[in-house]
Amino acid sequence: MSAPHYTHPDREREECVFEVRGVTKRFGDRAVLDDVSFWIPKGEFLCLVGPNGAGKSTLLKVCLGLLEPDAGTVRVPGAQLPDSRVLGYVPQRKSFARRFPAKVEELVAANLRGKWPLRLRAAEREATERALARVGAEHLWGKSLADLSGGETQRAFLARALVTEPKILILDEPEAGVDVMGRRELVEVLYQVSRSDELAAILVSHHPETIARTAERVLYLEHRVVAWGLPQELLGSAELAAISDPRLRSTRWDDDSRPPPVPARER
Amino acid sequence: MDWVVEPLSQAFMMRALICGAVVGGLCAAIGVFVVQRGMSFIGDGLAHAAFGGIALGLLLDIETANATWVALPFTVAIALGIGWGLRTGRLHGDVATGVFFSVSFALGVLFIGLRPPERAVVNVESILFGSILAVGETDLWVVTGVAAAAALVLALTWSRLAYATFDPELAQLSGVPVAALDYMLLALTAVVIVVSVKTVGIVLVSSFIVIPAAAAGLLARRLLGMTAVAVGIGVGGSFVGLLGSYHLDVASGATIILTLGATFFLALLVRR
Repeated sequence: MSAPHYTHPDREREECVFEVRGVTKRFGDRAVLDDVSFWIPKGEFLCLVGPNGAGKSTLLKVCLGLLEPDAGTVRVPGAQLPDSRVLGYVPQRKSFARRFPAKVEELVAANLRGKWPLRLRAAEREATERALARVGAEHLWGKSLADLSGGETQRAFLARALVTEPKILILDEPEAGVDVMGRRELVEVLYQVSRSDELAAILVSHHPETIARTAERVLYLEHRVVAWGLPQELLGSAELAAISDPRLRSTRWDDDSRPPPVPARER
Repeated sequence: MDWVVEPLSQAFMMRALICGAVVGGLCAAIGVFVVQRGMSFIGDGLAHAAFGGIALGLLLDIETANATWVALPFTVAIALGIGWGLRTGRLHGDVATGVFFSVSFALGVLFIGLRPPERAVVNVESILFGSILAVGETDLWVVTGVAAAAALVLALTWSRLAYATFDPELAQLSGVPVAALDYMLLALTAVVIVVSVKTVGIVLVSSFIVIPAAAAGLLARRLLGMTAVAVGIGVGGSFVGLLGSYHLDVASGATIILTLGATFFLALLVRR
């Protein structure tokens, strides 16, 4: 079996907005991330896939600046991390949101102000309305978080991440715990967001339909970068089969079928 | 109206009502954050730590009224210790509180036992169950002063504390100093508990923190509204409970807590 070819973004033609270089993170003796390197050009939607326990959440935490890597760097040209005006973050569905007494617009505006708002100023109100409209959630204004469905909650969190007009969006399994209808709507919203030429994103997902609909490039992580290329190169490959079917989650490529290492100039 | 006016004509009742309202309102305002963070048990833990501090003061031959000044740093140190254990992931919330709770209380019993027999007998019951009717003018000034300082700190940090309570990770990404606020909330809770012990006692003080906030959580749809309702319940519960205990001639601390409890169950019935 010949080694598959993967297509990386062209560094000489495209503007880099986010770069992870040689990141290693150990917990005790275990290297959860091992010399991970990739970069994202402006406007590109990168889907991060891999089996459970492959280090995806750890990588996101390092990218966000919540975890310090043991080696390597995370860089946004022209910005100092962490900065919520540069990186927008959508966490996994938050169950706590049901017991915290808050309105949707407060959640969104809190990210603008950097503290919980007592009252929205005119500019904050406008920005919040814009962010909610961008994710098709204008109707959620005035609603309590406790009254939202799973899909609505995630759309509110997506609006929260977009309200600062970040350069890069980081989404950690936004569709997890959302019912089928909610997930379908959420994927459509993510698709609309992914079409932006300005906003780059890293999306962690286990759902092939989300990946197929939004990914402009796919990175398969299993503690290290196993594959990094265009969706059509990876969709249907052994890697995606491994994560979409639990019975195949432990599937590994044979050594001779692994993709070529990431070229040095890309690292 | 006589039911209200008659007790107010007596100085000791006036002091008790003011003290109860101040403590009830402040405990409720802090309780909103404690309850939202799922740390309701911490009030009990710190109250028992305060007992260890008061007993240490008594062992050092300090009068019961002034032993608060020993209990204050003692309880704050315990609160910060719990905070450190939680933040470093060495302890889980209930384990940290449970261990400090029992060790501090045992230390308190030991300290009281170690006092030379010739010293005056300590009224442990008043420490455990409070004596709001015995609040003197000096006590009232201390409680009011500490409460004003605590309320100011809370007001200045409220918005950031609220964000960190909603989600520490998201708050940290927005530049909120989450770790510092965690320690501050624990220290503030410790201070408020120590000054409140005089009024409702160690056994009941955590109810002042938990019940109004829990009842308000059932009714309010915004955190600011929840805080306002909790403070209203804390102040109103103290007032009604005290007046009730005066007319029924029963223990004031217990009556206040039962009034707050009744409010909670009422809120449960009419919850949103």
